[in-house]
Amino acid sequence: MDVIKSFRPEVAWANARGAWPEMIFSTRVRFARNLEGFPFPNRAEPRQLSEIRRLVLAAAKHTGLFPRGHYFKIEALGQLEKRFLVERHHVSYALAAAVLPAGAAIANGEDLSVMINEEDHLRLQCLTSGFAIEEAFKTALKLDEALGRELPFAFGSRFGFLTACPTNTGTGMRVSCLAHLPALSRLGQMPRVLENLSHLGVTARGIYGEGTYVLGDFYQIANATCLGRSEEEFCQNIDRVIRNLIRQEIAARETLVKGGLRLKTEDAVFRALGLLKHARTLSYEEFMHNISLARMGAAMGWDIGMDFSTFNQVTLLMQPAHIQAAAGRELSPAERDAYRADCLRKRLA
Amino acid sequence: MMCEECREKSAAVFLKLAVNNKVREMHLCPACAAKKGMGFGLETGAFNISDIVGNMSGYFKDFLPAEKKTLRCGACGYKYSEFKESGRLGCPECYAGFDAQLTELMARIHGATQHTGRTYLRGSALKLSKSEIARRVEELRAALADAVVKEDFESAARLRDSLKQLEGRDGRH
Repeated sequence: MDVIKSFRPEVAWANARGAWPEMIFSTRVRFARNLEGFPFPNRAEPRQLSEIRRLVLAAAKHTGLFPRGHYFKIEALGQLEKRFLVERHHVSYALAAAVLPAGAAIANGEDLSVMINEEDHLRLQCLTSGFAIEEAFKTALKLDEALGRELPFAFGSRFGFLTACPTNTGTGMRVSCLAHLPALSRLGQMPRVLENLSHLGVTARGIYGEGTYVLGDFYQIANATCLGRSEEEFCQNIDRVIRNLIRQEIAARETLVKGGLRLKTEDAVFRALGLLKHARTLSYEEFMHNISLARMGAAMGWDIGMDFSTFNQVTLLMQPAHIQAAAGRELSPAERDAYRADCLRKRLA
Repeated sequence: MMCEECREKSAAVFLKLAVNNKVREMHLCPACAAKKGMGFGLETGAFNISDIVGNMSGYFKDFLPAEKKTLRCGACGYKYSEFKESGRLGCPECYAGFDAQLTELMARIHGATQHTGRTYLRGSALKLSKSEIARRVEELRAALADAVVKEDFESAARLRDSLKQLEGRDGRH
C-alpha cells in the first residue's frame, strides 16, 4: 500500500486537456531501446538483468527528468501494487508478471516513465491528455535523447534501433491514442473500421495494450510498423488516421440521434446514468459499459452533470486496484463491487 | 446463449477482443472463462492471450525463410531455429548474424528494409543540424547559468559536460 500511497489519486494526463478530450482520452509515444553488449531480456541472466536495471535507473536519475520520481524493482512489489501500476498505464501486464529483475522509473507528474527489462531493456514513454501527438512525441524524444547520452543504445545504420522483436525494429516508436468510439460500436461498424485501419498501417488494441480486452468502447490506435519512415512521418500518419476516426465517430453519433434512433439512444444513455448513480454493487465491466454510454451522452451535449475531466478521473479511479487503494486494503471482488458503487454514488451526488 | 467452450452451460462472460484488427467476441460460461484465466477480464488479473488467438510465434513461422543449416548468432549463440519458435531475437548482434533472413522478414513486416528515422551515435547522441546544435547550446547555456545561480553544482557540472560535447561537435562539422 505504501507504494500506492506515494501516488496522487488523480493524474494530469487524465485531466481532459488537449484537443478532442471527449473522444481521445490520452496520447502516448513510446520508444523501445536496448543496451549494446547485453542479451535481450528474454535471454539475459538474472545478474545481467540486475546490472541493466542498475544502469538504467542511474541514467534515468541522472537525466534530471524524474525529480521526486518513483523507482521500483518490479519483482519486489505485491500483486496489488503491480496491478495499480498497470491500471496507471506505466507498467504492462508482461512486466507486472516479471519474476526476474525488472524495474520502472516514473516521473512525479506521471507524464514520463521507463519500463526496464520488459521485452526490451528500455521501454520509455510519454503520456499526455487528449489528442496531442506532437506534444507527446517531443517530450518522449527529450527523454530518449537524454537517456541515449547516458547509455549505449543498440543501433545499426540499416535496421535502426535494434529490438528483441523485429516488429519494433527501426524507430522503435509506437504512437497511440486511446480513443472512445461508442457510437461506431453501437452501430456495429467497428469490424469495418478496424479492417480499414489495417490497410493504413495501423492497429487497434484494448484499453491496457497488446492482447487486452476492449472495455467501455475504448480502443488504443497505434502504428503497426516502425521501419522505413521517419518518426515524424509515423506521427503524421497516426494523426491523419485519428482525425479520420473522429469524423467517423461524429457521423455515427449523428446517426444515433436521428429519427426513431434518438429515443432509443437517449433511453440507453440515461438508463446507464441511473445505474451509475444508484446501483449498490457495480463490477468494473458493468461500470465501463455504462460510463461509456454516459460519456457519449455528455459529448452529445445532454445534461449528464459531469465534465470530461471527471469522466476520465472516475474511469481511472474505478479500476480494481484503484478501488482497493481508495479503501486502503485488499478487498474481495464482491466487496470491491460494493465499494465501487459507493464511491461512484458519492462522487456523482 | 450457450458457452462456446463447453456448449453445456449458458454463457455469462461476454468479451470483445481486438486481435489483428478484427473484433472477436467470445461468449463463455464463468467456469470456462475462469479456466482460460480470464474470468471478468481485469478482476482476475492477467490473462494469456495466446490461449485465445494461438501463439504469436506462428505468425512469424508462417513467413520466415527456411534455414539451410544450423544458423547461430556469433555473439550470443542463439539459434535461428529458436528465433523462429519464440519470435524474439537473442541479442542486438543477432541482427548481423541473421541478416539475410531478417531482411526478408523486415520487408514483410514493415514493407521496408532500411531505417530512415533518427540516427544514433554512441556516447552523445543524434545527428543534429547546425541550427539545432546552436539552439541546444543556447538552451544549455541558459540552464547552466540558472544552475550556477541556484548553486546546484551537480547539475551545473552535467550541463557543462553536455555543452562541451555539443560545442565540440559543432567544431568538427
